[in-house]
Amino acid sequence: MGRRGFLGLGVLAGSSLLLAACGDDSGSVSSAGKEGGTLRWGWSTVTSWDPVTSSAGWDVHALSLAYAALTKLDEKGNPVPALAESWKYNADGTQVAFTLRDGLTFSDGTPLNATAVKKSLERGKSFPGSLVAAQLATVKSVAADDDARTVTIELAATDYQIPSLLAGKTGMIVSPTAFEKDAKGLATKPVGAGPFRLTEYVPNQSAKLVRFPEYWDKANIHLDAFELYPAPEAATAVPALQSGRLDVAQIPGSQVEAAKAAGLEVQVIPSLVTTVLDVNITVKPFDNPKVVQAFKHALDRKALADTQTFGLGVVNYQPFPPGYVGHDPSLDNAFPYDPAKAKKLLAEAGFPDGVEVPLTTTGVSSALAEQVQAQLAKVGVKLTIETIPAAQATQIMYIQHSRALATDGFAGRDSAVQAFQVLFGEQGLMNPGRQTPPELTAALQKVRETPLDDPSYPTVLRAATKIAVEKMPNIFLFTTPRVLARKKSVSELGSFLAVQRFEGVRVG
Amino acid sequence: MTRKTAGPLRRAVRLRSTKIALVILGAVAVLGFLGGTLAPSDPLAQDTSNLLAGPSGAHWLGTDYLGRDVLSRLMDATGRSVVGAVEAVTVAFLLGVPAGLGSVVFGRVFEWVAQRLVDAVMTLPYIIFAIAVTGIIGNGRDQAMLAIGVLLAPLFFRVTRAAALAFTRAQYVEVAELLGASRGWIIRTHIWSKVLPTVAVTTAQLSAAALLAVSSLSFLGIGVKPPAPTWGGMLSSDLGFLAQQPWAPAIPALAIMLTAGSLNAIADAIRDTTGIAVDPIGRGATRPDAVPALPGAPAVAVPEQEERIHA
Repeated sequence: MGRRGFLGLGVLAGSSLLLAACGDDSGSVSSAGKEGGTLRWGWSTVTSWDPVTSSAGWDVHALSLAYAALTKLDEKGNPVPALAESWKYNADGTQVAFTLRDGLTFSDGTPLNATAVKKSLERGKSFPGSLVAAQLATVKSVAADDDARTVTIELAATDYQIPSLLAGKTGMIVSPTAFEKDAKGLATKPVGAGPFRLTEYVPNQSAKLVRFPEYWDKANIHLDAFELYPAPEAATAVPALQSGRLDVAQIPGSQVEAAKAAGLEVQVIPSLVTTVLDVNITVKPFDNPKVVQAFKHALDRKALADTQTFGLGVVNYQPFPPGYVGHDPSLDNAFPYDPAKAKKLLAEAGFPDGVEVPLTTTGVSSALAEQVQAQLAKVGVKLTIETIPAAQATQIMYIQHSRALATDGFAGRDSAVQAFQVLFGEQGLMNPGRQTPPELTAALQKVRETPLDDPSYPTVLRAATKIAVEKMPNIFLFTTPRVLARKKSVSELGSFLAVQRFEGVRVG
Repeated sequence: MTRKTAGPLRRAVRLRSTKIALVILGAVAVLGFLGGTLAPSDPLAQDTSNLLAGPSGAHWLGTDYLGRDVLSRLMDATGRSVVGAVEAVTVAFLLGVPAGLGSVVFGRVFEWVAQRLVDAVMTLPYIIFAIAVTGIIGNGRDQAMLAIGVLLAPLFFRVTRAAALAFTRAQYVEVAELLGASRGWIIRTHIWSKVLPTVAVTTAQLSAAALLAVSSLSFLGIGVKPPAPTWGGMLSSDLGFLAQQPWAPAIPALAIMLTAGSLNAIADAIRDTTGIAVDPIGRGATRPDAVPALPGAPAVAVPEQEERIHA
């Protein structure tokens, strides 16, 4: 017994020495500023590597590895220079001129000049099947001056959102050589001017990228290579990081304690990701606004957030999280949990004995759907859960709009107006009813017409949020931060609200 | 069941392994019919203030990710999990056994067509085929089990055919044919009763295989309508919370294991006992070499089948 105890002590001492060594090591790495290495990120693969046809909001994170956009968002969500070193609006906000950095090239060697930017933006507007065309609706024409390195965008109406909008997929510049030759091929072979260049891609499995040495901000890219994998399953997330298969991974709330216990660094990064129920108001019984209203009051969002996110999520009645400029604090209790009121509303809508509704859900876990089902059962709503394979979800939910009610997640967008378009616009992926009330359109117009640095901008944007939350059927539930676990050898990640980028990140 | 096979079957029942297996299957059958009623609490009742709790007086096996009682869910899941297996085996039986007998007696054309069809079906992988079928005709248990049943049918076909072949050349069958007996009469009177033990072994073994297939599919979310619990579904969702309840997946896994294991034990017992006691047809058979194929056939067929289930 004594001997075993002694051995145990030895093991303990050994492991603590090992831990200490690791600690020293990671400390010296970040201070010494080691260059190179490969970072393996367990996050998500893409629906398409072509920013114009990519159909999921999540894709923007992966796409921003291969593409650079005209602008990018800083940690607070404001647009700052990227491919464009500056921009200037005319007096009435109907024209914006971007000045490009000097000497830019795409990863295929094509010069990234004003003409290339013009062609790329025009493709976003005109390519058949483009999913960014709606966001470029206000763009009337694009003019390029290669000598002055300026791209001038003429707008059909005042729109101060363009620099924000162009930080995301919409503003990712694609090599004209690539899309003029093989536009469809871009879905698997991206050609941009991002920090990395894709070398190998197996759909739904992995993407391997190497550093693109001509990237405009190469000084802040310390990694030689980047590998992208789908987010690991909950059960394997922590082991995948421990074994070294991944360096950084998105983990669910249920794994935070396990990750910390395993000696991993866990970073909880505020994000725009909001869990929401998509509602189709052209399908019975949601054609009656009182039913939608009843659903909004029948859900106990606090219980949902606590259970589904292990306490990390925050109850939210709107598409923007607290602290974000578009978040209207007056909506913080917009639809309080009130089963009695919900029942009354259902009775007024003509369903005193309850109503049957299918709820569509996707992915591995149906936990959210099951909890929503149980909560709605208390007010007499009988939900039947339909599980559709993740591979078909985009087609069924975002393209056919054939489902009455579906669990969904909103990834957030670079520009607030773009977020509105996705959630509430007549072409919006998450507006299956395809209707937008005129007062919301008017309020959005006002947002576009207000410069981002104008003191009235927050007020104007919040007014639009309020109208959307009150008039639109989308049922917002809670906002969940991005939880990234990383090995100690990886330096701290940037805290980006929208796109998770890897500037300044080192791996030891 | 005729008197001839009752003997060996009774001997099979006397084996201790069979007795244990029968007790387990009896319990599964009772739970299958009454599981939801006998459950100590509502298997769907959520209690979000008591998530992922360990075993306690109120919840003997703890609670799941929505605070539901695991024991009640396990009991309620029994019927759903077992019925799926029964469906698949029934489909396989109805397709495979008559065709297997028919291929022996209905002439060369039928035999050739049936054999080629079976060859073709046997090349398909179970789980992937079932997923594809549910993708096309809807994600339901019946659809998934229909697919599994179709793929299990060749095993019934082959086993029945192998068993029946040995008897169709028996002298008394040939005599009956010469006396003008119809094929149907010959099958009913002379062949079926002798093929039956073999088919019984196959049925038990394929039931176990089908249960594993059902569980694998529900693990993948095929053929499950949440929140209704299934063993495979519980196993799958428990894996998401290993950090909180590392022991939880063992519970549904044990239920699957015990049921499948009992079915296999019974199959083994029937095979062992009937294998020895099979009517020595060799005396009158024109092909005595066919005799050993009788007890051996399922033993050959099943390992192949199991490999495919795990593919």
